[in-house]
Amino acid sequence: MARFVTVAKANSVQPGQVLKVEIDNFPVAVANVGGTFHAFDDTCTHEDCSLADGDLEQHKIICPCHFAEFDVRNGAVLTPPATVPLKVYPVRVQGSDLQVEF
Amino acid sequence: MPAPSTIAIVGASLTGASAAATLREEGFDGRVVLLGAEPQLPYDRPPLSKAYLRGATPFEKTLLRPAEFYREKEIELRLSTTVTRVDAEKKWLELAGGERLDFDSVLVATGGRNRRFPIPGLDLPGVYDLRTVADADRIREVIAPGRRAVVVGLGFIGAEVAGSLRECGVEVVAIEPFKTPLFRALGEEIGRVVEGLHRDHGVDMILGDAVAAFEGSGRVERVVTTSGRRVECDFAVFGLGIEPAAEVVAGSGVRVDNGIVVDELCRTNVPGVFAAGDVANHYHPVCARPMRVEHWQNGVKQGAAAARSMLGRGQPYDEVHWFWSDQYDANIQYAGFHAPWDQVVVRGSLAERKFLAFFLTAGRVESAVAINQGRDLRRAFSLIRARLPVDPARLADPQVDLRTLVPAEKTA
Repeated sequence: MARFVTVAKANSVQPGQVLKVEIDNFPVAVANVGGTFHAFDDTCTHEDCSLADGDLEQHKIICPCHFAEFDVRNGAVLTPPATVPLKVYPVRVQGSDLQVEF
Repeated sequence: MPAPSTIAIVGASLTGASAAATLREEGFDGRVVLLGAEPQLPYDRPPLSKAYLRGATPFEKTLLRPAEFYREKEIELRLSTTVTRVDAEKKWLELAGGERLDFDSVLVATGGRNRRFPIPGLDLPGVYDLRTVADADRIREVIAPGRRAVVVGLGFIGAEVAGSLRECGVEVVAIEPFKTPLFRALGEEIGRVVEGLHRDHGVDMILGDAVAAFEGSGRVERVVTTSGRRVECDFAVFGLGIEPAAEVVAGSGVRVDNGIVVDELCRTNVPGVFAAGDVANHYHPVCARPMRVEHWQNGVKQGAAAARSMLGRGQPYDEVHWFWSDQYDANIQYAGFHAPWDQVVVRGSLAERKFLAFFLTAGRVESAVAINQGRDLRRAFSLIRARLPVDPARLADPQVDLRTLVPAEKTA
């Protein structure tokens, strides 16, 4: 059953940054876009690459391997070679904790 | 200018499919006919030398778009259809079998075909090359652990095939006429890094030697090199580059010189005839010279650019060219405009195979290659586009964000 899992301190992901975390050994990325957090699968839907190793440009995450781009707010594919949207997860801040519903 | 009512696209691969989709995205409501010689729906070729060849991804996953897409967008797909000639004056295509198809404007996106050299035994059974999914399927049938393969040519395709074969447990001997893999693209210093990568994965490389003949009775059994080495094998795969498939415009008045010559709007010298992708020798406004490239990204982007140009909404096509090549656990990426270089600046570690290397001409970055450092390569795009002299010490310093090396007004 989905529940909120604390993954980091909220201040450990500053605006413009992406953090890779693991929930139940599953890689999830958390991005801070202008103070709002977004969580999504860390593995690109195209091939096995960590999106947290790529650049975040506003709401756009760029895969470092083949430069596919996704909208971190809804997981939509913005640029191929990816064709499958990214799974996104609800995020909340509880006190100083950053929590992802997983 | 009124948009043409029938647009024919010759070539139903990445470029052609991208153009067809873009025509509809742009609101074109005329007829779109996408003609391809292969029987399959348009598919992605990069996996053919990698995951698909290894049997790690099914064909369906390589489709560029599902079948419904073409129905919904009313894109008429004519598969298994060979176009023999573009008649630019009469404005029709001649198809194998004698059918004619009228068009108002046409995009030639026929790509390339594998180069074949007059090497004795090249036609022997068991000697393969790789361009189509049918080619990949033929190679897949003979892949088995413990079999011995010779890979001829360590350009990008040969190097990827060698890697895939090793990952399937095939014993691989690779023969390459230059002194390192990828020598022409990357030079000796970086080529040595790629050589090390393949050696570490068990590829036996014969460098600086070429194939003199494929030998065998009824089927290839060995490869003989010009220096006299004899390499026994169960099969061989050669990757010796491609040549543009431009003959469809022969006699049409369209200028051909290392592919179909087009301007920055993908226009040939003949009105109504456009070209894009591997077949197009295109004028590039950033470098102010013509060039022809065989990259995935160019197929997508130039196909889309040509579509807009055909609708009278073209913008000069000025992408920074870019491609990738995945070999084992190495993600190799290259961006920029290949030209003779006088300096190589490395940022990162060659030994750890995690670096970016810049190729400079007269102090300017013309191109760059990254191994397992894609994010930095992406950050170098505006630097490549800017074509300004840059301090090599700052390029080499991993602490310097490459995006800061370009004045703001030059940022792409």
